[in-house]
Amino acid sequence: MTEHTVKSYEEELALLDKKIAQMGGLAEQLLGKSLEALERRDPKLAEEVVTADRSIDNLEREIEEQVISMVARRQPMADDLRHIMGALRITTDLERIGDLAKNMAKRSLAIADESHPKPLMSGIRHMVELALHQLKEVLDAYAERDADKALAVWRNDAQIDAMYNSLFRELLTYMMEDPRNIGISTHLLFGAKNIERVGDHTTNIAETVHFLVRGFNITDDRPKDDQTSSTLISGT
Amino acid sequence: MNLMPSSSTRPVEKLSVRGLNFYYGQTLALKNINLPLYEQQVTAFIGPSGCGKSTLLRVLNRMYDLYPNQRADGEVIFDGVNLLSPKQDVNLLRSRIGMVFQKPTPFPMTIYENIAFGVRLYERLLKHDLDERVEQSLRRAALWTEVKDKMHTSGLSLSGGQQQRLCIARTVAIKPDVILFDEPCSALDPISTARIEELIDELKQEYTIAIVTHNMQQAARVSQKTAFMYLGELIEFDDTAKIFTSPQAKQTQDYITGRFG
Repeated sequence: MTEHTVKSYEEELALLDKKIAQMGGLAEQLLGKSLEALERRDPKLAEEVVTADRSIDNLEREIEEQVISMVARRQPMADDLRHIMGALRITTDLERIGDLAKNMAKRSLAIADESHPKPLMSGIRHMVELALHQLKEVLDAYAERDADKALAVWRNDAQIDAMYNSLFRELLTYMMEDPRNIGISTHLLFGAKNIERVGDHTTNIAETVHFLVRGFNITDDRPKDDQTSSTLISGT
Repeated sequence: MNLMPSSSTRPVEKLSVRGLNFYYGQTLALKNINLPLYEQQVTAFIGPSGCGKSTLLRVLNRMYDLYPNQRADGEVIFDGVNLLSPKQDVNLLRSRIGMVFQKPTPFPMTIYENIAFGVRLYERLLKHDLDERVEQSLRRAALWTEVKDKMHTSGLSLSGGQQQRLCIARTVAIKPDVILFDEPCSALDPISTARIEELIDELKQEYTIAIVTHNMQQAARVSQKTAFMYLGELIEFDDTAKIFTSPQAKQTQDYITGRFG
């Protein structure tokens, strides 16, 4: 890409990307740590996650301020406009991902004394691993301005949804087996839902990256596989 | 997303430029330009200096006829007639396709005469009707309230922004179909610029408008269609909203984002 005649404009755009990368890195870390906190029921680690989320919030504010200032001073056009508005949207999604991770970490405190159902925990682990992979891919797609990679991430979200569906059923069954499981199952269910939401924000980012690179929105319908809103286990 | 107020009818092509080439002596300044200008729409021409945008505008009302060694081939169809044809009455043409220049060019006459002069060339009006036409034109150009008490002072006594609006009033007075603006705001302050832009927005209800501007934001603000030109060629022509958010050609992109080498 040819450079802008005005060097400081170029530098501001680069700074924006740097901050997005930083924020993305933090969101990845947070998500990983929140899983560990949940698995190990580690209150100290959960506390770390809560603190780290503040850095994400601060970065979001910084990026927002920079975007507003750039729109006012530079009057960005064409790909610059898409870049700058894209950064603003991505930063919102990353901030939400941070919040969801934080929320999940906090649950480790609530379930600290409960016994852990191993197979369910491994289900959650798989979901987080996939969500993390997706997040990494979409951040790469942003950094490399790779619309195809973004599109792949967008399509792949169906996998997270499928995992969530099966975990949802397992947790319901587990609750039905023994009412004493309801407490922990509910927390795990919310945790799983959080990860599913992380996946949704990741696909939002993928859509933004696609628009940023190509200048038009992804047109085909995304396969929506979260069926839990219509799922009930009949009392067989 | 569509920011433009949608009209239920399809835009009418008022002027069609077809296969236009233009020569300054031996130099080919416009290369095979094909372009429509739509009724009730503002079309902006943008591009770096020397790209041919002003030349194109000057072809549209045969301004080049004033200079020897300048010639055009191809067609510019205006209401079904090729206006480049030698048979075309140039004076009549210029009464139907008016032009406003970069620097305000009031005649060294009173404000009233600045407007009445052109009208008298084409129409015989009673004093009362002429007065009314002058007032109407000044109102259209949003200048009336500022000058109504000094109609018989010199047009040159007005400020730059007022002079430019006087020139617009003068153009409007002879009831043209098309108005061409050649960088109408480049010599004006931001307030006067905003007034002219507001005016262009109003005028487009009744006229077909083309504007050449170096100010990209201005093109983005006032026009519905934008043509990007470079080295005598029309690189891209599309809806303004499209050109400024996702242009197709790399050259357009580089130019409007300030990356031109």
